[in-house]
Amino acid sequence: MTALLEIRDLHASVGDKPILKGINLTINAGEVHAIMGPNGSGKSTMSYVLAGRDGYEVTGGDILMNGESLMEMEPDERARAGMFLAFQYPVELPGVGGMSFLRAAVNARRVEAGEEEIDQLGFVKIVREKARLLGISDDMLKRAVNVGFSGGEKKRYEILQMALLEPTMAVLDETDSGLDVDALRIVSEGVNLLRDPARAMLVITHYQRLLDHIVPDYVHILAGGKIRKSGGKDLALEVEESGYAGIDDAA
Amino acid sequence: MPVSTMQPDLSAVTATGGVRAAALARWQECGWPGPRVEAWRYTSLARLSDVDLSPATSLAGTASGPAATAATSIHAHVIRFENGVVDPAGMSGLPKGVVVSALDSDEAAMTRLAELAPEGNPVSDLSLAVMNGGIVIDVTGTVETPLMLAFEGDDAGASAHPAILVRLAADATCQIAEWHQSTVGLAAPLIGYDIAARARLEQVKVQAEGAATTHLAATGVALGEEASIAGFSLSTGGALARLETHVAIRGEGADCQLSAIYMGRGSQHQDITTFMDHAVANCTSNQIIRGVLDDSARGVYQGRVHVAPDAQKTDGQQMSRALLLSRKAEADAKPELEIYADDVVCAHGATVGELDATQMFYLTSRGIPYETARAMLIEAFLIDTIETIENETLAGLLRPVAEAWLAGKEAA
Repeated sequence: MTALLEIRDLHASVGDKPILKGINLTINAGEVHAIMGPNGSGKSTMSYVLAGRDGYEVTGGDILMNGESLMEMEPDERARAGMFLAFQYPVELPGVGGMSFLRAAVNARRVEAGEEEIDQLGFVKIVREKARLLGISDDMLKRAVNVGFSGGEKKRYEILQMALLEPTMAVLDETDSGLDVDALRIVSEGVNLLRDPARAMLVITHYQRLLDHIVPDYVHILAGGKIRKSGGKDLALEVEESGYAGIDDAA
Repeated sequence: MPVSTMQPDLSAVTATGGVRAAALARWQECGWPGPRVEAWRYTSLARLSDVDLSPATSLAGTASGPAATAATSIHAHVIRFENGVVDPAGMSGLPKGVVVSALDSDEAAMTRLAELAPEGNPVSDLSLAVMNGGIVIDVTGTVETPLMLAFEGDDAGASAHPAILVRLAADATCQIAEWHQSTVGLAAPLIGYDIAARARLEQVKVQAEGAATTHLAATGVALGEEASIAGFSLSTGGALARLETHVAIRGEGADCQLSAIYMGRGSQHQDITTFMDHAVANCTSNQIIRGVLDDSARGVYQGRVHVAPDAQKTDGQQMSRALLLSRKAEADAKPELEIYADDVVCAHGATVGELDATQMFYLTSRGIPYETARAMLIEAFLIDTIETIENETLAGLLRPVAEAWLAGKEAA
């Protein structure tokens, strides 16, 4: 069986600075993987490299999604192929209406799949239904994208986008940052609803607490641009107790 | 100083004397402004010196284009000019409260138009001198039906000189849409809006001229006591376009809202020039200007605000922002505040920027194609400016034109 995502000896730099120094990771459909690591270990860089952000240059290795290399694909092409990144810091888009943004994204995906574009009325219905589960109000949906949203609202809005786009590979970058306990619970429930045998998730986090809510199948510890240790969900608890101190660059 | 070969035989104009003869004499003396004239520093008319254009003298009778469709969409009464010559069809069936008469037989109206016309703009003199069948539009009371002034024509060898004086009587209100979409060589409309006490004009202008057309508009506005104008221009067409507007604020309590969007691509040159002359106290003026420039297009905004010593409590604002979509595009902004009163609130700001890379990444990371994402951000950049238009009917005319530009098409 072809892995849903296969990262092979991935090296990447930001500017001239090497950040990722040989990542190997295989994720199969239906699996949830967590990547934990201290600040500066390369966690966010990895999420941006997967999404294809400009300025995050791959200097070696390959990323395959369903057996096909992402290296020559632009961010929009990757997204339409099933990649989704929930941003650590969702971007405000003043003047861009939320509903037209969501619809443009969903329709881009549908057109790619050879499906018909969805009309405005039908779309509003779908969005409302999914928004309700995430506690997103109609008022929030009407506003410009992320403008005037609280930290928690922004994160919920990311999960709403994920629910609408139904990605095959979802990368969640520090989805727990800036969330209080209640918001964390809502966001996690939203994510758990999207767990699916055909979908894989990569949950990037600094803290173990998110993994109490979104329980991973595998945990990897990233430090100094390499995966230093992999294991089951108990590895997260180990890190929680002893910190990252034992897992340094020399490990 | 370069002078165009366009020197129509205007002995008749000289012979009759008066305002037109004086204008002709000034034009013949000055001609097109050269590069050393400060007001034309950023906009060179050198291209006009080498072309042979002459004013049309009669209607060609071609069918109306997109302007007619636009007029229908807002149920407007259309007064149409073709190659600068007025089509008499628009004179009948006028809405109640609107009277149209000939300009060239009305020396008083001609004098007033000459007073309102932007000083130092060559079109002011040239179009007064060579106009053919200008009109005076008198408005009284509240006119519900919008007026559409449609400027069309397909004579590439023609220079079009429509001259119009619009007079709003005291307490009158009306809506006027100017729609400029032709393929003439030079479109040089001269329009005066004379707005009496407490009268209100809501005006929009669409400039969607053909790719080879030079559009030089000279617009003069006078505001009486508590009079107001809410004007908005969208300039997307032409090889070179300059929309110059001078506003004489002459009555206390007057309000002038004058905003514009220009959009250019290829080697287009878009110029918005305004002069806000605050002569009396307790008046407000506000200008919001947005420019979008792609390829090697160039945009210019010159905004001069003059506040006379007696014009205390003036509130004069202007803000211009340009968005460059290409490294070769260029935007120049020259805001000038000349304030001679001490109790005023005046401010100006000008920024030039590019599309935000982080915003682009966010949109494309959702699968939205690059071009669509770009159009969404440009639209977002413009939207708050269009939203300043209170009159929904008139605003509705502009959106399709801006959207057509974003989609890379001509206005239709």
